[in-house]
Amino acid sequence: MFELTLQALFSGLLAGGYYATVAVGLALVFGTMRVINLAHGELVLLAAYVAYAAETNYGVNPAMAIPVALVIVGTASALVYALLSRIKQDREINSLILTFGLGIILTNAILSIWKADIHSTSDPWFQDSMVVADTLFAMNAEVASFAGGLVLMAGVWWWLNHSWQGRAVRALSSNRAAATLMGVNPRKIEILSFLIAALLATFAGFAIYTGKTVFPALGHVLTVKAFIITVLAGMGSIPGVLIGAVMIGVIESLTVTYLSASLQELAGMILFLVVLFVSPSGLFGGGRALAR
Amino acid sequence: MTRTLANLATVSALALSVALGAGAAQAKDFLLGSELPLTGSLARVGQGMHEGISVAVEMANRNYAGRHSFKVQTIDDETSPAKGVAAVEKLAGDGVVAITGGYGSNIIGPASEAAQKAGLVYITSGGVSPELTQRGYPTFFRINNTDGYALAMIGMLQDMGAKKVSIVYLNKDATSSLAKQVNSALTAKGVTVGMHEFDGSTSDFKPLMNKVKLQDRPDVIAMVGYENDYVGILRAAKVLKPQVKAMVGVWSLATAQMAKEFPDLMENVYGTSMLPYPVEFTQPEAVEFAATYKTLFNKDPDYLGQFGYVQTRLLIDAVVRADEAGTLSKGGLADELRKTDANTLIGRVTFDRNGDNLNFTHRMGQHQGGKVVLVWPKDAANGTMNFPSVPW
Repeated sequence: MFELTLQALFSGLLAGGYYATVAVGLALVFGTMRVINLAHGELVLLAAYVAYAAETNYGVNPAMAIPVALVIVGTASALVYALLSRIKQDREINSLILTFGLGIILTNAILSIWKADIHSTSDPWFQDSMVVADTLFAMNAEVASFAGGLVLMAGVWWWLNHSWQGRAVRALSSNRAAATLMGVNPRKIEILSFLIAALLATFAGFAIYTGKTVFPALGHVLTVKAFIITVLAGMGSIPGVLIGAVMIGVIESLTVTYLSASLQELAGMILFLVVLFVSPSGLFGGGRALAR
Repeated sequence: MTRTLANLATVSALALSVALGAGAAQAKDFLLGSELPLTGSLARVGQGMHEGISVAVEMANRNYAGRHSFKVQTIDDETSPAKGVAAVEKLAGDGVVAITGGYGSNIIGPASEAAQKAGLVYITSGGVSPELTQRGYPTFFRINNTDGYALAMIGMLQDMGAKKVSIVYLNKDATSSLAKQVNSALTAKGVTVGMHEFDGSTSDFKPLMNKVKLQDRPDVIAMVGYENDYVGILRAAKVLKPQVKAMVGVWSLATAQMAKEFPDLMENVYGTSMLPYPVEFTQPEAVEFAATYKTLFNKDPDYLGQFGYVQTRLLIDAVVRADEAGTLSKGGLADELRKTDANTLIGRVTFDRNGDNLNFTHRMGQHQGGKVVLVWPKDAANGTMNFPSVPW
């Protein structure tokens, strides 16, 4: 029983790391622009497929494909922003519709280029198992992605709190008009947010390609998960995303272990609803500025 | 004399034109409908089946050249039951003579119901759930079923001598039915079975596999799901290394594609497979099928293409028979299909009154060194089981 529980907690922690890596990009854009980018999951997927293409066509380690994926995903993300910035009225609903449509276009573009087969890395290092204290098991890919995701999130958090651009992002999130009066260029800051989100999506795509399987229909699933975690965390809260993601990962893992794997999603949803019932602004929401 | 010759020429010309005219009147174009998941989570299987259907139409146009021609209109159901229904209704409105296709019992159910309402025959190889034929629709036909997969899995597990089996299965119609059928059969034979259901959204199988490893401690782990499920389960098993003697799955597992894509995970894994890989066809129809497939798609056929081809070939033959009997437009296609008794790439096919092919029994293959070797039943095997053996 003890072994089962420990493994469940460990697996949940690692799963939470995956979820957080996928969700933090969405949270950043949501916090800056009050826009839910429903194409975010597809951007993650695009990065994963670039890693796949690099490995399959050129025999390159997926990690080496990250710079190329970053350029491609960054370009796609900038294009999404360019289209979003043209919305003048009813921004919230129109941006949902636009990004949903862009997500469908991206999904079908991926399907057309790479077909519908499932893929994952063939690099044995990523799939080898790591054993901790003879009790806890994980794939190297999962641990590496968790560690890398933590570093990235810590980097983003530091950037938001200690760099001028980060402060500008937070100022824009807090009060757009006041930030503009203080010399912040909203367009530049917004596109910067999208590019940072693209960086996070790229890493998330690499993590999923090396630790899971990718297929064209996955993008939508990732977006929904990311959205749930973003709302659970509270508007634009980076630490909240990590904590919320780990909570969901752990509750899902414990549900699989002690109840049934078919109740996994339900358990995550119940947690989500309970948190919102107790704290409607999310775990770390309540009108606070981004990242605090 | 000249007048007689002229009269003779005129009569001959008239007779010839009547004959040609009659022949031309008998040659017909037939439009078949196909509703398949070309996008969405089942896109991989839908596209594979679509290829097989295309090959069947190509071969039919060749074999019936000068007599009939066939076309297929395909609509993507996007792996959605609602869109499957809409696709069938659209195809019915476009005047197709019958529908071939469908994948996933939860989609085929409503789609074939729509076909039944439209009076259209619906033939498939993608819906094995028992409920589909229990409805008793006279227009519904399928060339495979859960029983055939279950017989293969149960037979091989018995030959392995497994005393404890853990069944890890997806909570969809067909996978649940198959898992429960295998459970019942094995339990009746004194095998201890642990059942573990999972949801399609599950991506980390380690908690589930750990439960199997520590609580069930089985001889064999049986997996019932689809490709990404198998990969997740095998990855988790490779990490946790449960003390089992074999990993056994069903459809979509013992394929060349899986061997190529996941060579480290597939070694020694079992799955259902009608043919070994590399495949060697010997029968004339099979040789022609493989050659046509290669020409159209530049690759060797897999089981999806085989199933798509067989169901469509049988449908086309029945369409021709019904047309020649003059009953095609009077709902006679279903009757003609029910008269089917054919040897096909998947074995003998006949249809009972519910449209089920009770002859269907699958075979089990095992991944061995990048190949798929048929290992069960013995009379179809081209190799022996590596047992006990696992991918780690």
